[in-house]
Amino acid sequence: MHVVADTFSPQLHLVTPLISGLADGAAYGLFGLGLVLLYKSNRIFNFAQGEFATVAAIVAFLFDRGVGWVPKVPYFIAITFGVLAAVLVAMATERLVIRPLFHRPRVVLVVATVGVALFLVGVEGLLPYPQTASLRTISDALGVRSYLTQVDGVVVLDQDVAKLIVLAVLAVLAFLFFRYTHTGTAILAVSQDATAARVVGISVERVSMATWAIAGFLGGVAGVLLAVPPSGSVTPGAFTGLTLVVAFSAAVLGGMTSLPGAFVGGILIGLINAFANADHSFVPGLNSLPTSQAEVAVALVLLLVLLVRPRGLLGREA
Amino acid sequence: MAAQTEVLAGFDHAHRPARVSMRGWLIRGLALLPVLALVFVLPAQSDDWTNDAIYAAIFAMVGLSMNVLVGYTGQISLGQQAFLGIGALTAANVVNTGTNAPDPFTFAIGIVAGVLVSAGAAAVLGAIALRIRGLYLALVTLVFGSVTADAIFTISSLNGQDAGVPAYRPTSLQGNFAFYVFALAMVAICIYVDVWIRRSKVGRGLIALRDNELVASAFGINVLGYKLLGFVVSGAMAGLAGGVYAFWSQEFSDKNFTSSAGFSLALIFVVMAVVGGLGSRAGVIAAASFFALIDPLFTGFAHHTGWLNWYTDHKAYIQNLVGAVLLLQTVIFNPGGLGQVLRPFTRWFSGKPFSLHDAGDAAGAALGGGDSVRA
Amino acid sequence: MSVLEVHDLTIRFGGLVAIDNLSLTVNEWEIVGLMGPNGAGKTTAFNCITGFYKPNAGRVMYRGSDVTRVPPHRKAAMGMGRTFQNVGMVKSETVLENLLTAQHTKAGYGAFKALAGVSAVRHREKELAAHADAILELLGLTAFRDRQLGSLSYGTLKLLELGCALASDPDLLLLDEPSSGMGPEESHELGERLLALRQALGVTMLLIEHHVPLVTAVCDYVYVLNFGKLLAEGDPDHVRNHPEVVAAYLGGEAPEELEQTEAPAEQAAAVGELSDDLAGTTGAGSSTRRRSGLRRSPRKEAS
Repeated sequence: MHVVADTFSPQLHLVTPLISGLADGAAYGLFGLGLVLLYKSNRIFNFAQGEFATVAAIVAFLFDRGVGWVPKVPYFIAITFGVLAAVLVAMATERLVIRPLFHRPRVVLVVATVGVALFLVGVEGLLPYPQTASLRTISDALGVRSYLTQVDGVVVLDQDVAKLIVLAVLAVLAFLFFRYTHTGTAILAVSQDATAARVVGISVERVSMATWAIAGFLGGVAGVLLAVPPSGSVTPGAFTGLTLVVAFSAAVLGGMTSLPGAFVGGILIGLINAFANADHSFVPGLNSLPTSQAEVAVALVLLLVLLVRPRGLLGREA
Repeated sequence: MAAQTEVLAGFDHAHRPARVSMRGWLIRGLALLPVLALVFVLPAQSDDWTNDAIYAAIFAMVGLSMNVLVGYTGQISLGQQAFLGIGALTAANVVNTGTNAPDPFTFAIGIVAGVLVSAGAAAVLGAIALRIRGLYLALVTLVFGSVTADAIFTISSLNGQDAGVPAYRPTSLQGNFAFYVFALAMVAICIYVDVWIRRSKVGRGLIALRDNELVASAFGINVLGYKLLGFVVSGAMAGLAGGVYAFWSQEFSDKNFTSSAGFSLALIFVVMAVVGGLGSRAGVIAAASFFALIDPLFTGFAHHTGWLNWYTDHKAYIQNLVGAVLLLQTVIFNPGGLGQVLRPFTRWFSGKPFSLHDAGDAAGAALGGGDSVRA
Repeated sequence: MSVLEVHDLTIRFGGLVAIDNLSLTVNEWEIVGLMGPNGAGKTTAFNCITGFYKPNAGRVMYRGSDVTRVPPHRKAAMGMGRTFQNVGMVKSETVLENLLTAQHTKAGYGAFKALAGVSAVRHREKELAAHADAILELLGLTAFRDRQLGSLSYGTLKLLELGCALASDPDLLLLDEPSSGMGPEESHELGERLLALRQALGVTMLLIEHHVPLVTAVCDYVYVLNFGKLLAEGDPDHVRNHPEVVAAYLGGEAPEELEQTEAPAEQAAAVGELSDDLAGTTGAGSSTRRRSGLRRSPRKEAS
């Protein structure tokens, strides 16, 4: 690989974007997980998944700042309210939109979730609050330094470290949930074979509600992790486009049915973004391309993969 | 079954309802007057209204193109704005005469070129779409829309950079009303094609493959070829709309089609097709016109109620909300969409007796029986 | 020349051999039955013959030409009509529209002419509608002409599906369980109808059927599949009493249908002898093919 010798520093140009890419990508991976969970359990693609994240970020922001009549509460309580709001919105979506349409063709449900996404963006946009602001980072809230500068010039945002810690905790929780709780195993059972699950007495409807709640939770967590400086904001509709990109790569990698595929898809997008946006990308030419054309290139590659392997790279055949 | 006693040769008209009398047609003609007034008289009231009406006509064409692709062929498209853009880009570049008005011939060539190039692009998307279905198709059309916008519309030699490509109208269509009549004629062409799709083997083939590809091929329908045909016809209609769009706004500017502007157009197109009632010509045209006119209607309303500033600041969100509410109420409570509501009237106008009972038609069939999303 | 010949057809799904070395022949004017317990591979065989599946090995010959790799819509255009086990029609359309759709290959105008709405298309559409009405009349379904499919009973749908298959003037008709969902009387009527259709239209048929009385009444020759392999073949009477067939069905389903009265057996035997004489086929042993190439005996038809 051609490397610009005089300005290249492996720490700054490789490790720094690697870590921030991993951290963002892991949060993107949460979008992917939520989408794939819903898709696996009842073949619904949720266009509103990104808006669950925006709802969480906005609600957290309102409580953290105390905008309007919303009381100002401590940061971590505000964050909790935000995630809770996302869970409630997801459950309301399930109850009011998904359940009445449960037995209709899946394409109807996809269109309906587009409607939910548009609805949420519309409501968010009508709320009076500074829409281009962003949520405080955890380090801001704790009043600690905003950078961790480690050995040999590797610059790591501690927000990224926080993201990775949160995600590690989530991963453990998810493992325990799906392994040891009744609801968790029921969700897995339904996602593998809804009919068989019904036969053994699992209420598919109740599981559906639980699955949506979890999807809302994952979206909400991703939202509060990502709506922070430097690039995140609490803008209405902020995460819908991003979620679709993640969804697309998740579909390419895991055929929308592989949880690891979704997560890896998210990380991949995070890394691509981090390296494409790094000040001095080590890949010659990449940073001189306009972002849009880098995206075009990535999209074309993904499109090609999807055409060659319609079930995704990690997806099983037939 | 008395009908069974008839001889084989006589059935062509045996089971048709009685023909409508002259008087019946006269009444129908009179009833059509308010509709004609809405289409011709109201837009003539002011230049602004004419301008808005042209935009509605453009949307109506896009609505019909969605009707062919989503309603008949059953292929979801989240990239329809790309065809509109390609039609506009091509027409503007072919005609580009600087600041002079083009002669009618060049103008016609430009419009036709827009249709052809857009149809070609649709064929490319269609060829990709033959391999995939359901959710993947939705994602691929989405990517197609944004990739087209980012890769082609941003080429500076084609998009006229910041100034955009000028697209002046020929002198005979200079006035807004003259251009509006031209736009209506283009809508009429799309309606005519739609009518003949529906009346011929083409529409039956598309609907059969939408319902069940196996059954369609057992009936001898070339499923791949017809899917491609659905994409091409839909792309051609959207390309025609794009050509009209370019000369309506008198320029091509990539900003109307790239990134979030393009994405919201794509969503509006899906929403209006569903709200209009997939497969229903009249419903889709009505819904498309409504969505094209939301902004002027609401601006007028806000102007009179003193909410103008608030409305202007929140325009996009209010339109989202209106679209979302209409979309959700349609899919949950009224899957046939506006077409279902209008059907008694459209049936009556076509010469059948007036009846609120929906006997023959499958409203919302595209949504009710369409291909489900598979993994 | 036979209408349809299948040679050593094999298809595998993953490790499962769904059809193993199947060979069968359908001659002009014959009604041939394909029987077998559920999961024996009958519908899979249909799907291979009609082009929906690509067999791993073997050939499908239609009127002397190899059509193994010909896609289904082209086979339909060549004159192979088929029906589906669970009613294959366009659900969102009316009865009339389905019959028009079924005439797709006969429309005789191009797609672009259709979009332009030229007068030839208008004229042709009227003819297609007249033909659709004639078929409705033939099947006694005229009253349902403008009804949605969703409002029709299963038996009516099955009959209409047969009508759709006939609408394209097929040369060979492949019927997948035409009598499913029908009671004994309806099924008897169906048998009459199939024989009458052959008489009137000269159409050759291959049908998958469970209903033994129907098979006995209409089929000239029967193949029995089990686990993808050909278990037995011969005239209906021969096959029905074949010990392996009886065993397969006892292990499978509907054994009581096999214990039919003896009268049809005698008739079938008579037909078999008659056809042997007429077709001049010779041979010995149960594996020898005895083709009738004829309608069933007049006595049979009148029953």
